Amino acid sequence: MLDTTTQPGPVGLSTAPHYAGWIGRAANSGLYRNTIGLLVDSRRVRLAVLAGVPLLWIAMLHIGPILQMANISLLANYPPQPDKSSEYTLANYGLFFSDRLYFLPFVRSLVFAAVVTISTLVIVYPVAYYVAKVVQPKNRMRALLLLLIPFWAGELIRTFSVIMLLANRGALNVLLREFGFIDRPIPMLYTFFSLSFGVIYLLALYMLLPLYSAIEKIPTPLIQAAADLGAGPFQRFRRVILPLSKDGIVSGCSLVYLTAVGVFAAPLLLGGPNSVIFPEVIATLFHGSNDKWPEGAAFSMIMLVVSLTTVGLFMRIVGGRSVRLM
Amino acid sequence: MKNLDVTRRSTLKLLATGAGVLAAPSIIRPAFAQSKVVNITTYDKFVPQSFIDQFQKDTGIEVRIRLTDDQGKQYNLLTAEGAAPSTDIVTVTGHRLSQFMKSNLLASLDTARLKNWDKLAAAYKGAPQLTVDGKTFGVPLLAGFEGLVRNTEYAKASDSWSIMFDDENKNLTSYIVSDFLSIVMRYQGNDGDYVTYGDKPDVAQTATNQARDFLIQHKDKVRKYYDAGSELQQMFVNEDIYLAQAWSGPAAKLVMDGHPIEISVPKEGTFGFLYSFNVVNNAPNADAAYTFLDAILSSPEIGAAMTRQSGFSSAFEGVDKVLDDKERAALALPPEQVERIQFFSSVNRDMKNDMIDKATAEIKAA
Repeated sequence: MLDTTTQPGPVGLSTAPHYAGWIGRAANSGLYRNTIGLLVDSRRVRLAVLAGVPLLWIAMLHIGPILQMANISLLANYPPQPDKSSEYTLANYGLFFSDRLYFLPFVRSLVFAAVVTISTLVIVYPVAYYVAKVVQPKNRMRALLLLLIPFWAGELIRTFSVIMLLANRGALNVLLREFGFIDRPIPMLYTFFSLSFGVIYLLALYMLLPLYSAIEKIPTPLIQAAADLGAGPFQRFRRVILPLSKDGIVSGCSLVYLTAVGVFAAPLLLGGPNSVIFPEVIATLFHGSNDKWPEGAAFSMIMLVVSLTTVGLFMRIVGGRSVRLM
Repeated sequence: MKNLDVTRRSTLKLLATGAGVLAAPSIIRPAFAQSKVVNITTYDKFVPQSFIDQFQKDTGIEVRIRLTDDQGKQYNLLTAEGAAPSTDIVTVTGHRLSQFMKSNLLASLDTARLKNWDKLAAAYKGAPQLTVDGKTFGVPLLAGFEGLVRNTEYAKASDSWSIMFDDENKNLTSYIVSDFLSIVMRYQGNDGDYVTYGDKPDVAQTATNQARDFLIQHKDKVRKYYDAGSELQQMFVNEDIYLAQAWSGPAAKLVMDGHPIEISVPKEGTFGFLYSFNVVNNAPNADAAYTFLDAILSSPEIGAAMTRQSGFSSAFEGVDKVLDDKERAALALPPEQVERIQFFSSVNRDMKNDMIDKATAEIKAA
């Protein structure tokens, strides 16, 4: 409880309020005074305190789980069984390389992510350009907001909306039937088409924002100058706009690719029997009848390393040294 | 940095927040362990909300439901939590009981503490699936089976699983691969429950491979492999599939809701299972768990509500009389079909799980 009566305090802190109870004792303790003194006097200490919280956050919630996953991937048994001791082994990694059963969905995942990334870029680029350069500046935020609103809904809700759209009795088939274009529903759901459509829809935001940010920064007079010098629309795009939006392309592609490689719920709900991808295989190892956490963890680590390496190489080769993800 | 305004108040707030974060684990664990709370991990729509409301009002015990859709997830969670579980009651199927028990995750039930124990139907009181070394594990709740489900408007009737592999039904069927493998093994004249394969792993592997190859060969009949009952219901309602292998509960629910759906047990037979509520070893609120279990057994109306919500048959006595004609019809099977149901056994589960898991991955990857 705060006691607001003014009381004489130590030199330099005489105007500070006096606290009653434990908070008061803590405030008057030497440890507290020394800490405050350090904070006031030293810029480095202030920086350490400020950086400490986010660093702790990153270490505990981001790096910690990955390290734990790496640890589990090397264990012979996990969760620990009462009658078994924990031993370390590389057999879980060996399983991936010894059985092509796991290799096919892995390759499928990488190819799928690449196709989704390229498709998302092709679809979203004109949209980002339109908002950044064609829409009047005063309306840009409104246009951007309209594009962002669907992403406020959760991933699952948006996935189910795709199901409602593409199902045999979904909106699209009903519409086509009503207009007399088809007699029988077209099976669109549970195919590669529905899977790609759904994932592109889910991940478009990750492409849109970096692209918009990069295109918006391109000075319009540069484009106008190119036009004045006789460059046609395609040449202006190829020689001016595309190179200057490279940072956004690299960032957007990296974000979409990394997310698409690990996407799980959408393939499960939208994919068919021939579109089983690697995250589902990993999930099956975790949730299957027998305990296969170590194998699942090892496969997750392989996926993580390969996808990060791919993106790292892509950023280095296409983006050069300067490109950052955001 | 120069303008950073560090005051006593902000520093104390920061310290207090830090202390709070550091103390979080010791705050969270006791939150699960309160005498007026019971934590239950169960499937969606297994416990009626009306019952929960009434129970909370009568006893002052707060019911906290954590939903699951898979036995493996429950098992993994409990194993990971070890001796300090955050749940009091889990929902286990009879044939998975041995796996939970092997890891010492469940406590045997003191039926003397349940004054309503006798309100169970006679067939379920000493259900062999729930009895180990003379001790009872779990209160039986709901019973189901794996049936052949068809849309009666589009798919022709059949008394054989062979209809699932008919060219006429290309791209129109669905099943849970691991479950259907056992049925296909049975369809092919083999032991899909692996009970007889204890000392014959080669025979088991050959039978598993035979079913695996058959399913790969007929992969073109499959529209989608599904995992959860709700997925199956959605596919039938959207007319994306006309035929499926399914748990009886989700299918019966569709029948009760008036959809043109029929569930049957083909002549080659199928497997049945029993869901039970089990008290977790070292449950943080064991007393509240017993109070809850006793309350849920107290009247057939509660059993009927569970059946209505889940579509599975109730293990409680007198539920039949509470259900209406339409509900009874949705759950009823002709006697000759009931005889074709063989309850899953808990014998030789490790071998079965290993072989089925591998074959499932192979079918999906093919």
